[in-house]
Amino acid sequence: MSHVSIRHGWKAVALAGVMSLGLAACGGGSSSGGSGSSDTLSIGASLPLTGDFSEPGSAAKQGYQVWQQLVNANGGLLGKQVKLVIKDDASNQNTIVSDYNALISQDNVDMLLGTFSSLLNLPASSVAEKNQMLYVEPAGGSPDMFNRGYKYLFFAQQATADKQGLVFADWVKSLPPSQRPKTAAYPTLDDPFAAPNVDGIRQVLEAAGIKTVYKTTYAIDTKNFDSIVAAMKSANPDLVVHGATFEDGVGLTRAMLKSGWTPKMFYETSTPSFADQYTKAVGAGNTEGVMYAVSYSPETDTPGNKEFVAEYKKMFHTAIPPEDAADAYAAAQVMQAAVEAVGSIDDQLKLADWLRSHTVDTILGPLSWDDTGAPQGQFLIGQWLNGTAEIVLPPNVATAKPEVGWHPSGS
Amino acid sequence: MTEFIQTLVLSLLVGGIYALVASGLTLIFGVMRVINIAHGAFLILGAFIAYTWWNQLGLDPLVGVVITTPIVFGLGWLIYRLLVRPIRHAPMSSTVLLTFGLALVTEGVMGVIWGNDSTSINPSYVDQSFHVGGVFLPKAQVYGGALAVVVLVVLWLILTKTWLGRAIRAAAANPASAELVGIKVTSVAAVVFGLGLAAAGAGGAITGVLYPFLPGSHYLWIARLLAIVVLGGLGSIEGAVISAMIFGLAETVTAVYISPAWATAVPYAIVFAVLLIRPQGLLGTRLRDDAVAT
Repeated sequence: MSHVSIRHGWKAVALAGVMSLGLAACGGGSSSGGSGSSDTLSIGASLPLTGDFSEPGSAAKQGYQVWQQLVNANGGLLGKQVKLVIKDDASNQNTIVSDYNALISQDNVDMLLGTFSSLLNLPASSVAEKNQMLYVEPAGGSPDMFNRGYKYLFFAQQATADKQGLVFADWVKSLPPSQRPKTAAYPTLDDPFAAPNVDGIRQVLEAAGIKTVYKTTYAIDTKNFDSIVAAMKSANPDLVVHGATFEDGVGLTRAMLKSGWTPKMFYETSTPSFADQYTKAVGAGNTEGVMYAVSYSPETDTPGNKEFVAEYKKMFHTAIPPEDAADAYAAAQVMQAAVEAVGSIDDQLKLADWLRSHTVDTILGPLSWDDTGAPQGQFLIGQWLNGTAEIVLPPNVATAKPEVGWHPSGS
Repeated sequence: MTEFIQTLVLSLLVGGIYALVASGLTLIFGVMRVINIAHGAFLILGAFIAYTWWNQLGLDPLVGVVITTPIVFGLGWLIYRLLVRPIRHAPMSSTVLLTFGLALVTEGVMGVIWGNDSTSINPSYVDQSFHVGGVFLPKAQVYGGALAVVVLVVLWLILTKTWLGRAIRAAAANPASAELVGIKVTSVAAVVFGLGLAAAGAGGAITGVLYPFLPGSHYLWIARLLAIVVLGGLGSIEGAVISAMIFGLAETVTAVYISPAWATAVPYAIVFAVLLIRPQGLLGTRLRDDAVAT
């Protein structure tokens, strides 16, 4: 079976390679609506409904749909019913550019909403900026998003990625010496959101005298975390701060458990915020004490949150909305607030100027921005305690007190 | 020394699983000259079937290969009969396009059935390890690696010790002559397509236990599998096995001794380096038209 023409084989493999790259680029356009007419206002977004980011992408779509439902039930926006035009970018940076161009030039949408992950929002926001359209993104907290001098870009969470873990870092610093970790490890995914998040915490903790004993960055297609854990086991840090999305967060956690070594404290980005999916993936008993930054809590008494949770449950038959759905809902709330305040969508620079000078109440809490569109608030810190995701910091919105230590007890 | 042994063992366990899945891809190419872009999607399908077997019936997911393998074999046989056979003699690019579409459809169907959430299979031993000296051997990897070897041996026995295997090898070596001696090449090809996908289905049950997955996870797998079969020599199962071991070793050794940041890049660098010296891959064979072309 080894007698294969190299020439023919290479042609096919070359094509296959291009196709496998193209796989991600061909998500196609599924839409749930059409262009706006005189009595409708069409709002376009392209989301990663398939591919690597399909998980947050699908949740974001739900968030936008809940917002559409509630807005239309309350008379619409500027007196018009809202229609969503949602495309699938298949988690691909090239597809998302063509999708947003198509939304503007072919679907003729009136407004845009952002997509998920910094990777996808970076190119998508450029299309919006070029077309002078307001672009409120539900994710995309990388600092790189906001150093380009854009005027139409706004991030609808409380803080950019580099500042999301600062509340946690300050809390660690404030611990009494007997409880405070002396050493820390910082493995992170090579990702514009996860890496700055971890880096922000590392800088604060190093300045506080907590020694870095291990630091590494791994590629997005890393599946095997045993070697990273073996290296961490040798360094034996008191605290592990892991920059993760989801699958890698599960992979590293499971690798630590398999190795028989776990740190005294464990902080991880994103993964622990995936509620049921997280507990199923790592085992409920292994979540005890894990800490993470989070933008939303279903328990929080923010304006409109009860309505959002109730409508989400009604539409999707799930009691707890995922954080990504809430972020998308908040992004739509921000866009809505600007449109209603200005009273027109013809000059979208006016909408952006209004957002720059006002605070908007959302289900995540009040949001405000600097001139670059970067938010100026404080992130929440969550912790898994007794099988429940609690908000433990900052104290004024906490649902439980933070506890020191990760206590995995098996699946 | 302990760290080195640990690295070596983990490499071989990972490589064994890569070998199983890549063998199906190279088998299909060897006999049919079809680059099956949907191979990764059927790996994930195998993982989802194993998940359902474990989640709904409470049975061990690795034992699930007894169900994932025949189901995916049957699907492969059917897909060949309905989709691949009509364009069997079309240019190779047509089958690439076909399997590309098949990957997208399979991903979509999996999304509809199981949803786009990340899925994990967590049998009781998933977080446990064997501890030998200072070395830890994760039980899931050990069981999965052993199972991969068993399935590979069964595949090898089918190909070398049975009439079907001889027919497959004859059809691969010279389809026209195989027809002359009474081998129905089309029927053989349908079985080969089924066997190739069945290897992916068996691999899916194993990788599903080792790594979380979702319908879109096949993108990461197909790139890695294509590199493995090219390094091994297109169509060579022995080459795919050796190449998979090299891949597993390169990934793990790089992660431990250089940096995890380079762990997924170094194996591809090795592929480039080897192909510069041996364009036909490790165990591929240069034919006359290749020599003429150069």
